[in-house]
Amino acid sequence: MGRYVVRRLIQAIPVVLGATLLIHAVVFALPGSPAVARAGADGLPPGAAALLREHYRLGEPFLVQYGHYLAGLFRGDLGVTFAGVPVADLMAGRFQVTVNLVVTALVVEAVAGVGLGLYGALRYGGAQDALVLGVTLVLISVPALVTGFVLQLLLGVRLRQAGVGLFPVAGIAEGWRGYLLPGFVLAASSIAYLARLTRAGLLEALRAGYIRTAVAKGLSRRRVVGLHALRNMLIPLITYLGADLGTLMGGTVITETIFNLPGVGRQLADSIHLREQPVIVGTVTFLVLVYILANLVVDLLYAVLDPRIRHE
Amino acid sequence: MSDARVPAGRGDGFPGPSGRPWPPVPPVPPGPPAPSRPASLGNDAWNDLRRRPLFTGSAFLMGIFLVMSVFPQLFTSVDPYDATTCVLAEARQGMSEFHWFGTDNLGCDVYARTVHGARNSVVVGGATAVLTALAGGSLGLVAGFRGGATDTLLSRLTEVFFAIPAVLGALLLLTIFRTGEVWTVVAALAVLAWPMTFRITRVEVITVRAQEYVVAAEALGASAARIMFRHILPNAVTPVIVISTVNVGGFVAAEAGLSFLGVGLRPPDVSWGLMIADARGRFLEAPEPLLFPALFLSLTVLAAIMLGEAVRDALAPKPR
Amino acid sequence: MRIVKSARPIAGVALLALGLTACGGQATTSGSVGDQPVRMELREPQKLLYPGDSLETEGSEVMAAIFAPLVNYTDEGKVVDNVAESIKTSDSRVWTIRIKPGYTWHNGEPLIAQNYVDSWNYNANRDNAQGANGSFIRVEGWSDLNPPEGQPLKTKKMRGLRVIDDRTFQVTLTKPFSQFKTMLGYGVFFPVPKAALGPDGKITDEYVKKPIGQGYFKFDKPYNKGVDQVIELSRYDRFPGKKPKFDKLQFKIYTDSEVAFNDLRAGDLDIHDSLSPAAIAGAKAEFGERYLDQVDAGVGYIGFPLQFNNTYENVKVREAISLAIDRRTISETVFSGTRAPADDFINPLIDGYRANACTVCVYDPARARAQYVENNGPKVLELGYNSDDAHKEWIEAVANNLRANLGVKVKVRSFEKFATMFNDLGDRRYGGMFRAGWAMDYPSAENYLSPIFSTVAIENGSNFSGWSNKEFDSLLVKGDTAPSQRESLKYYQQADDILIKELPYIPVYFYRTNAAFSQNIRGLKINMLNQIEWAEIEKVS
Repeated sequence: MGRYVVRRLIQAIPVVLGATLLIHAVVFALPGSPAVARAGADGLPPGAAALLREHYRLGEPFLVQYGHYLAGLFRGDLGVTFAGVPVADLMAGRFQVTVNLVVTALVVEAVAGVGLGLYGALRYGGAQDALVLGVTLVLISVPALVTGFVLQLLLGVRLRQAGVGLFPVAGIAEGWRGYLLPGFVLAASSIAYLARLTRAGLLEALRAGYIRTAVAKGLSRRRVVGLHALRNMLIPLITYLGADLGTLMGGTVITETIFNLPGVGRQLADSIHLREQPVIVGTVTFLVLVYILANLVVDLLYAVLDPRIRHE
Repeated sequence: MSDARVPAGRGDGFPGPSGRPWPPVPPVPPGPPAPSRPASLGNDAWNDLRRRPLFTGSAFLMGIFLVMSVFPQLFTSVDPYDATTCVLAEARQGMSEFHWFGTDNLGCDVYARTVHGARNSVVVGGATAVLTALAGGSLGLVAGFRGGATDTLLSRLTEVFFAIPAVLGALLLLTIFRTGEVWTVVAALAVLAWPMTFRITRVEVITVRAQEYVVAAEALGASAARIMFRHILPNAVTPVIVISTVNVGGFVAAEAGLSFLGVGLRPPDVSWGLMIADARGRFLEAPEPLLFPALFLSLTVLAAIMLGEAVRDALAPKPR
Repeated sequence: MRIVKSARPIAGVALLALGLTACGGQATTSGSVGDQPVRMELREPQKLLYPGDSLETEGSEVMAAIFAPLVNYTDEGKVVDNVAESIKTSDSRVWTIRIKPGYTWHNGEPLIAQNYVDSWNYNANRDNAQGANGSFIRVEGWSDLNPPEGQPLKTKKMRGLRVIDDRTFQVTLTKPFSQFKTMLGYGVFFPVPKAALGPDGKITDEYVKKPIGQGYFKFDKPYNKGVDQVIELSRYDRFPGKKPKFDKLQFKIYTDSEVAFNDLRAGDLDIHDSLSPAAIAGAKAEFGERYLDQVDAGVGYIGFPLQFNNTYENVKVREAISLAIDRRTISETVFSGTRAPADDFINPLIDGYRANACTVCVYDPARARAQYVENNGPKVLELGYNSDDAHKEWIEAVANNLRANLGVKVKVRSFEKFATMFNDLGDRRYGGMFRAGWAMDYPSAENYLSPIFSTVAIENGSNFSGWSNKEFDSLLVKGDTAPSQRESLKYYQQADDILIKELPYIPVYFYRTNAAFSQNIRGLKINMLNQIEWAEIEKVS
């Protein structure tokens, strides 16, 4: 097990290096100007721009810049933004918000997705099953862009005006409640996938021999489904949720924009606008690490959940 | 990373079902007995497809959007690219006999714009899907067939692409190459999405390669090209077609998202994503300019996904 | 010197507001009501809080709450001493400024003349890259701190600044400038305390997160830009003038004006002074008495890139473009009445404005078409705007006007920031018309002319068109050195006439201020420069 983890981590090194190199190269192709970013609408005094370029090493060759960046990374120095804020401070605050958002999304996803799937499977072939199918199709075909606006106005503004203050319109001033709507919007398509995965998994399990045995033994339906079937279909579900964690972390930008959440997606989009190299590369590196670790954890969970799988 | 695992989710709307194959649906109850004449796989699939409401419905929708994108004049006589058709003083009017979907912030006809917006969505969806299928498919074929160093190298490369968040990658590419043209959007999406097709093709090719008939062909001394194109490709191509069809929906949604974020298409181009972004601020006052493009967008995505699903079911080996 | 950059109908630049009435001097006892702060809408300040760099609308709003300016302006635009006890000159060139006793910094140090000299030297120093730099160009010795590119500085001080005693300092300008005293209400002229400067003479990293001022409010804790969503301030009780009547002020940071408006409706915000056009229609009906709509000193333009290419060199073509823009409908429809059609380069709030001065700022599509065709105007026009603000709608509306009325193709280009657009113009990657705007720094007709259109402003200012006219420049000099305000104005208006004839920019609209406030407060007053008068606000218990 330990050796497996080490091997996987070693394998991840080229991926991380490759990703940072790639992003670095893309930004290098057309770097931003700290002078422009600093200047606001005014011009900076002639000469000041040159000093800033030097300070951010913008004139240096690509590999030199990349080398400096990696050296800084090993010292724990991620650089500063064009406005002069240390990237590490910025990221610490921003990641907190995105992690909250993604965790909310995963919870919503697990509850709603598995619930819908089970409901559909237990009423296989009936009207309710068709309804579940319809709901998943809607969830998957209406883009986050649209669900975001509509829910914000209907459940955020209108409900609040009616005196029900459950969902804040936007922002994180009210703590966890501020993450409910955006969490759902972010999770919407995954709910649909998870529901179908659950439904298919349960149907398959119910046809399996051990279930028939259990039924034949005279176990209650609830016990059969809850104990035997569910446990055996847990693997794909957990796998799915784990892998989703990695991707959702990097897929929050539209949701964060709509709901005014100061998370990492919004930050990255803003930095891309300014082509703020240190922030872009730092954040992407971190997201890549999250993705790799999430996938590693999922693979390890495999072994835990399914004794037939062993990682050597 | 284990290739066989289900690829992960798509975050908030990009690039859609992102190569995650639909979870298997239990086989449908067998249809009426197959026609008596000897059926090829293609014929068989077609006969099967025709009888599915899922297929006919989605194909019908897709057909409408295709026609709309090629001949928008069939649906509306108003040309949204002609500024004189917009009357500022008539901005944000509701639905009426003159403006079926109302007018937008600048007094332009929402119906005409929505109809004309189909073209860019169809182009982005279709062209990107074809590009990724070609690029990812051929590289996957090579990697799966050759194995060894080629395979390792290409697989590691795709891992790098997988690890970079797709929306952010597209934002970055489009910010830097900001032409606002539809082909730039296609290129950016294709660059980020090909690894998906690559992975699926590669796994499929490796599976097919191990089949007895391929081994037999090799033993008989068939050339590499013959094995690759005559034996492996036809048998590995199904999942690529399915995933590409499903992805059309994802790319259409992605274009809308990127245009919303200001890096996709630009005015005067008409695009559903742009229309949604523009109408957002006055949604409570005038909902039509947001709702109608959103409806068309959702229907296109839906049609693509259902079509992919129907094709997959039809091509899947069936119990007889 | 500053270009309108925020979507908010320009908040003031110059931080005059604060104590319009503060010079009255009567201290009010604080009838503090509860602990709930007064909550004010803000966008994220673009920079760390350097007094000489936080000049954009958001940063300057914060600075206005913690600093007191040397002079204030009355509702009529008259200049009155505030922190300054007297500002004297005999020749408009050498100015002696004396500050009132009793002002202290939030850390307890007394305010002294040296604080001003330190701050101004810091701001004018090229190596500090402060946005305020160009504002000091008239001070003798500025050029020593701004040598040609590549040359190191030989000094860190301007020889035009001299401390006479703890409360007096003298400023020598290179040329007489009659509006100098009027300028001093602008935020770039704030002092900094000794505590702000590190051993290397630079403003410290701690200071720019938690600046120490000498005004109404002090920072409770450092503000971490990019992470924190609130800035918390509390009243500074040793402030010598009229004090605010409430203890705590909180700036809440939003990325979207509409979200803030929804928060205001829900009772989670008290003051919102940058309502989006989309929100206005509802706000009037919903807030009634608690809705403010008043004139504002800003101007919105469309500019021509005259220094970069000759596409628009024919003034008849520029006139035709101006005549093709339906200013009234754009103001009423796109902006829901939150703008007024512009008819002069000088804003109506300012002494020197003349109604209908710009005769080609009317809507006359027939004449526009005829004149455009006759002068063989370009078949394809380009129009650029900065997308970090709500300019898209009106620019699209203007583009539609031009397409329909001139029969041309108009390509609209968006740029991340105004500076990006200007950089692309300079690098010849873009060669079209561009949107521009101006929020005044101080209430003088001069501020609408020289920073935007004079030849010297091409290098050190905001002359983005690059238009240059000798006669215009010399009229400005005459205005600057004229012995009386009345005579100055005469020359400034003559300069204005040249602009109208030459049209380097087309004036499109004048801004209006639109604000709404909650039931928790009363007495919201926003002065002519769009600054909130904190001493006037009362909390409702």
